Amino acid sequence: MIYFSQLVNQQVWDGYGCIVGKLADILIDKTEKKMPPIVALSLKKNPAGIDFIPASQIASLWPSITLKVGADRVRPYQPTGHELPLMDRVLDQQIVDTEGRRLVRVNDLQIARAGEQFVLTGADVSGTGLLRRLGLEKIGRSLGNALNRPAKPVVIPWEFVASIEHDDPLRLSVSQNKLVKMPPADIAAIVDELDHHTSTALLEGFNNEALADTLEESSSELQMTILSHMTPERAADILEEMDPDEAADLLADLPDITSEALLELMEHEEAQEVRTLLTYPEDSAGGIMTTEFAHVPDNISVGQAFNFLRNSEDAQDDEVMYYVHILDPNRQLRGIVTLRDLVMADPNSDLRQWVETEEITVEPLTPQKEVAYLIAKYDLLSIPVVDPESNQMLGVVTVDDAIDIVLPTAWKKRLPRLF
Amino acid sequence: MLKKTKIPSWLRRVGIYLAVLGPGLITASADNDAPGIATYSMAGSTYGYQFLSIILIVTIGEIVIQEMAARMGVVTGKGTADLIRERFGVKVTAFAMLALILANLGTTVAQIAGIAAAGELFGISRYIAAPIAALLVSVAVLRGSYKHIEKFLLVLSLSAISYIITVIMVKPDWGEVLHATVVPQFELEPGFILAVLATIGTTITPWGVFYMQASVADKGLEIKDYQYTKIDVSFGAAWGNIISAFIVISTAATLYVYGISVESAEQAAMVLAPLAGDSAKILFSAGLLGASLLAVSVLPLSTTYAFCEAFGFERGLNRRFNEAPVFYGTYAAIIGVSVLIVLIPGIPLFPIMWLSQTLNAIFLPVLLVLVLKLSNNEQLMGRWKNKRFQNILAGGLTIFISLVTVALLATSVMGWTP
Repeated sequence: MIYFSQLVNQQVWDGYGCIVGKLADILIDKTEKKMPPIVALSLKKNPAGIDFIPASQIASLWPSITLKVGADRVRPYQPTGHELPLMDRVLDQQIVDTEGRRLVRVNDLQIARAGEQFVLTGADVSGTGLLRRLGLEKIGRSLGNALNRPAKPVVIPWEFVASIEHDDPLRLSVSQNKLVKMPPADIAAIVDELDHHTSTALLEGFNNEALADTLEESSSELQMTILSHMTPERAADILEEMDPDEAADLLADLPDITSEALLELMEHEEAQEVRTLLTYPEDSAGGIMTTEFAHVPDNISVGQAFNFLRNSEDAQDDEVMYYVHILDPNRQLRGIVTLRDLVMADPNSDLRQWVETEEITVEPLTPQKEVAYLIAKYDLLSIPVVDPESNQMLGVVTVDDAIDIVLPTAWKKRLPRLF
Repeated sequence: MLKKTKIPSWLRRVGIYLAVLGPGLITASADNDAPGIATYSMAGSTYGYQFLSIILIVTIGEIVIQEMAARMGVVTGKGTADLIRERFGVKVTAFAMLALILANLGTTVAQIAGIAAAGELFGISRYIAAPIAALLVSVAVLRGSYKHIEKFLLVLSLSAISYIITVIMVKPDWGEVLHATVVPQFELEPGFILAVLATIGTTITPWGVFYMQASVADKGLEIKDYQYTKIDVSFGAAWGNIISAFIVISTAATLYVYGISVESAEQAAMVLAPLAGDSAKILFSAGLLGASLLAVSVLPLSTTYAFCEAFGFERGLNRRFNEAPVFYGTYAAIIGVSVLIVLIPGIPLFPIMWLSQTLNAIFLPVLLVLVLKLSNNEQLMGRWKNKRFQNILAGGLTIFISLVTVALLATSVMGWTP
């Protein structure tokens, strides 16, 4: 295995053993994603004035860089615009490790011989790579052995590397595809660590739905930053895609004049749900509930309930659907059936007979700690929120939101990043 | 999105200023932390008004340097060390990091010495005050409850204003003050040169440069709002250094005239006697304690973050100890080493507080050369790269500090006298 850092600044010898110059950079073909081949070497301190040597004329790279032909027969390489210079654009830059789902820096690059070609195989992001750059690899290795933790390079295969440089559209398209498939919490963590310009550029390529998911997992500070870099129309579209309770939380943090402007731009129905949620205090059941929950009418069979759910928009929007709620025409809660019981039941049986005996409900103004306590005490997956006056069911608080109350999100990074 | 709403333009401007305000003011207020107070008290009481001209030079230097850092933050959106790593590679980064860590360690020692000195003014042994304060601060910071006490500490450190009141009360000869400010005087004698280095080092810190750029970059400011950042930087530096100047004036007018050169916190507190009488000690130690605790809560943690980010270790207070052992280990090491140094039997607290600041100054040229190269980089800064006068001023400062360092070596180690 050859490391890029070991090649830079080495003498380049021609076929007759004469020095042609020193290696300044290596150009790879950026159109190849998996194992991009080296297309040319870039030279410095070269009296003959050959800037680029085509890869086809390289005889070997390690232990010494030698060419197949004499200096007089080198055909200078003409750049085509598809090259990526490793020293200038890849080494030391931040990249997203899409497999490990984290942000890393390229400490070194691995190059291997594949038949007639030399190819870039991976990025070394380990401390060993750093030590190698400092010329301390041997010390690092013996230190690692002494501590019984042998130092070894952590290499991310190049195909799992996605660039986050935003001025290079070709590579951004790769990163976007891979990034969108990451869990939103991981995307949010990466975006949180990125500098401002890059995170904005990165998020521009996301579709509304993916961005809504990411926003739901982001800190409120980050939500603000992301939204403030969009047109109001797109911001409204994204708010529609978000869970109403999350959208309400976000809007509550904005100045009134801004949140009102955004609500005006949203679809009427979605805006109405969010407006209702906004009227409850943030630390009450109403403030953390979601209005999207699966419900079915009274007096139907299990089979009919399934059909109803499949066609119900509320059920479509219910992200988890642990329970199915039976509502009468006045939207009053008549009973709760677990999805498990429903699946196991005879389709022709009456839905009523699967209803849980006791319903635990809360009111919109019940403190959120009380809600979390009840969910924990009765081992619930969600708890209905019922209006005390009309007895209408307003929404549910799910167990994941309750966990957030008991285990508050870790201390947000308060200090500015130094790096 | 936020731009669409109709807000009167003057209100928007005030709003932007308030949102932008901060980094400049915070770094400048940090000029008057424990090592700052110690440095200016020592300089003013030993050399009189002479140091006012040095403060003037340092103020201009601080504005130029901090403005460069802020501008790089706005234009690139990245931190100082991000840029150093991406432009200069691993070796230069490692060298710059080493300089930053040593300088910050020196300042942390000074802050803990400040706490110990404040304790001793009340008759509490340093062997009790320093470890307990360090432990309490660490617990508060690591548990994230630091934010609650931050405001209280800020109020304590406001007691620096008492220097201004003292000066007004002792009525110095303003003509002499003005003369000393505009006519620089230098002495080529090791003590004086050390004091000059400490004054530079406590005002323009490597830490301040990193902090300024990072906080501007994190706020995601746009270049059109950059003029407000410039105001913040200039206003902050001016305010911080006015306080510094008043510490020098008050010590020069009260202690220097009687030939008392401040060598302990007890003596440094005497300067506030015209204002507070017998309570001068309380007023002085409150200021010292507030400023030191504030700095000790922020500096070791941000140094730890920097170290771990540069070398890619797991970091962050939301990780557990076994997930990020290097992070917590480094933090504990910085605090622990600092406390141990302060606890060396017989080590004089007050001199450590200001001598440590010479470290900042000696490492500053390393950072300044890198910052100058970065802020002149066309590819990076585009049309926002340094103007010629900025290069002349910053370059001049870099050469000046280097010369002073060489002069220090020449006079103290080699015994050279002009």
